[in-house]
Amino acid sequence: MKNTLRILRTEKGWSQAELADRLDVSRQSVNAIETGKYDPSLPLAFAIARLFGRSIEEIFDDEAETAAEAAE
Amino acid sequence: MAQTRGFRTANRRYRFLFWPMMGIYVAVILAAKFFIDEESAPTWLNAAGAIAATLPILGTLYAIRRQTDETDEYTRMRYLKALRDAGLITCGVTFLFGFLQIFDVVGSLDVFWFGPIFFFAFGLARLPECLGRTV
Repeated sequence: MKNTLRILRTEKGWSQAELADRLDVSRQSVNAIETGKYDPSLPLAFAIARLFGRSIEEIFDDEAETAAEAAE
Repeated sequence: MAQTRGFRTANRRYRFLFWPMMGIYVAVILAAKFFIDEESAPTWLNAAGAIAATLPILGTLYAIRRQTDETDEYTRMRYLKALRDAGLITCGVTFLFGFLQIFDVVGSLDVFWFGPIFFFAFGLARLPECLGRTV
């Protein structure tokens, strides 16, 4: 799943480790989410959205939905 | 399964249990070595020494279980994958040695060694994570 986490994080001037501290997850978790290797659970996605003051949909792009819209 | 405590708290609680357990384990092994002569000691004393040495290991296993429950979801997934790989490697080694024994290729191997084999395999499986690689 594509996301804008890296962009939002760099806008805030945070390192991956700082973001990981704020979410109370490991730095590897942040890296895995940013690179699209791991999709977070709903509670973690909500925590990320709350931290950046955005909605989940603004941060995470449902590629399946995007592909379906493109096909129409 | 959502995280219950978070990465840092889970790590702190793990270390808080792991290191004392390792200290007790070393103390028990040293005490048993100096105070129990397993050839002349009564069976109950040998059994007590064996159980006393096992209890801190059980404590360590509980610490691993608790950390797996409490840490963040991605770390939990990686731990569980490492535990899975360690279990499969240990199972494979067990079958290999079992068949080698049945076919009289090797002598008997103490059951004790499968614990260290499991933890060695667990360490190997966690090596990429320790080197900072994501999966």
